[in-house]
Amino acid sequence: MGNDLTMPMEMCSHFDPDEIARLGKRFRKLDLDNSGSLSIDEFMSLPELQQNPLVQRVIEIFDQDGNGEVDFREFIEGVSQFSVKGDKSSKLKFAFRIYDIDNDGFISNGELFQVLKMMVGNNLKDTQLQQIVDKTIIYADKDGDGKISYDEFAAVVSSLDVHKKMVVDV
Amino acid sequence: MATSEDIIEKENSINRLGSLTNCVNEQHKNFELSDVVYLVKSGIEAVIDDEVTKRFRAEELSSWNLLTRTNFHYQFISIRLSLLWFAGVVLRYCVLLPLSNRILVTCFALTWLFVTVFPLTLMADSEFKRKAAYYVNLVAFRIICRGFSAVVDYHDKENMPQSGGICVANHTTTLDVAILMQDRPYAVLGQIHGGFLGWMMRTLSKATKHVWFERSEVRDRMFVSKRIMEHVSDERNFPVLLFPEGTCINNTSVMMFKKGSFEIPTTIYPVAIKYNPWFGDAFWNSSKHSMVQYLLVVMTSWAIVADVWYLPAMKRQPDENAMQFAERVKSVICRRGGLVDCIWDGQLKRMARVLSWK
Repeated sequence: MGNDLTMPMEMCSHFDPDEIARLGKRFRKLDLDNSGSLSIDEFMSLPELQQNPLVQRVIEIFDQDGNGEVDFREFIEGVSQFSVKGDKSSKLKFAFRIYDIDNDGFISNGELFQVLKMMVGNNLKDTQLQQIVDKTIIYADKDGDGKISYDEFAAVVSSLDVHKKMVVDV
Repeated sequence: MATSEDIIEKENSINRLGSLTNCVNEQHKNFELSDVVYLVKSGIEAVIDDEVTKRFRAEELSSWNLLTRTNFHYQFISIRLSLLWFAGVVLRYCVLLPLSNRILVTCFALTWLFVTVFPLTLMADSEFKRKAAYYVNLVAFRIICRGFSAVVDYHDKENMPQSGGICVANHTTTLDVAILMQDRPYAVLGQIHGGFLGWMMRTLSKATKHVWFERSEVRDRMFVSKRIMEHVSDERNFPVLLFPEGTCINNTSVMMFKKGSFEIPTTIYPVAIKYNPWFGDAFWNSSKHSMVQYLLVVMTSWAIVADVWYLPAMKRQPDENAMQFAERVKSVICRRGGLVDCIWDGQLKRMARVLSWK
């Protein structure tokens, strides 16, 4: 698609044309090699993101076709889930998918361990981490299958008004 | 557009993130599934509009002051605004600039400086020379400040920096120096510049002992801290003025303070400088404009309005290292000046972006 960021009208997002134009400008600025898509290295050119352990996960969720890069359409649709106008369930779904690495609709013990490991780095021993993981799973797992489904996740999290925290200004 | 409050709110959420590692670390039970949310949110925010590179561009205002520099393309919003803006341009360039004789006044100030400094260069170091240098500086900088229509409010003058100390201030523009020097002279510590600014620096050095150095030279750094040590140990010298950020930031925030100057065991006099963006943008984007271009921009603004707060002197605590002390001084300046406390290194402005990340 090159550098031309004219977007199809059916693009599903919560943004008005002004906001899309602004995000387009931002996208072009981040696109250092002008390839029309953002690679992980390009995201990492932002100093803030270099310290953020979940960048990899967020990019994987943004990257719907799994080609390793985020094109403009994926970028808009991804950011759109953080719009004020975005609904509660899509926001919770996004948070859920951070943990659901293989995208099978369940957070397994191993997946939760991996994500927590990303977040705490080497500050905790693996055994301590495993304890936290087990405890969290037992707490959230209502049907006793040893993993957390989206519904179980939503039940734990939605009481905390998490979706209200997942809003960014464009 | 993000206002200062939004930015502070963002900072808070990022700070909560920092405590996440600790809470997992200390009490094992405190992890919650929702803890990823802050990380994700702040990540997305960074993608949309990052906090660091924004500080090196002109500040965007929530209301427009009829100058094209601060808010781009605002003058095209409607015909009425365009006309108003155009009238402003005519007024600023054709009436304010020549009438207030800003260029003439500045030229006069520079000539004055050059002429009065000359006899001082011939004099040997003496009490009289120091007295003369004091007034020569004061007069020259007062005229220069007139030249770009600086209206400055000095607060808490009882805390004014004294000889034998180091005055540290946040840095928005080279004019910071002029604004502080019109209240009392300092020995400035700064990066060597070329061109017009370089000439100014060389001239000033003839009257007062300033220290100029090359940032990238490691050997220079050793030399500089030795020079400062010598300088502050002599009570007769002017206090040292330095900008520990090492670069100009756009008047919204304060970036990381370099620890070098805080290693010297002497009194630190923090000073907060906040420009009022209503009347003109004082920020010097040194990687975009040359000094002369910048001066022209400033002189065609409505005015340069600033507040200067002299803060109580600070000393390094015995259990504090230079880095912690620098942080403490910085937070005091931020609070007084109403600026956002950023941890990023201002040198990111100059260095190429880091493309590889492990």
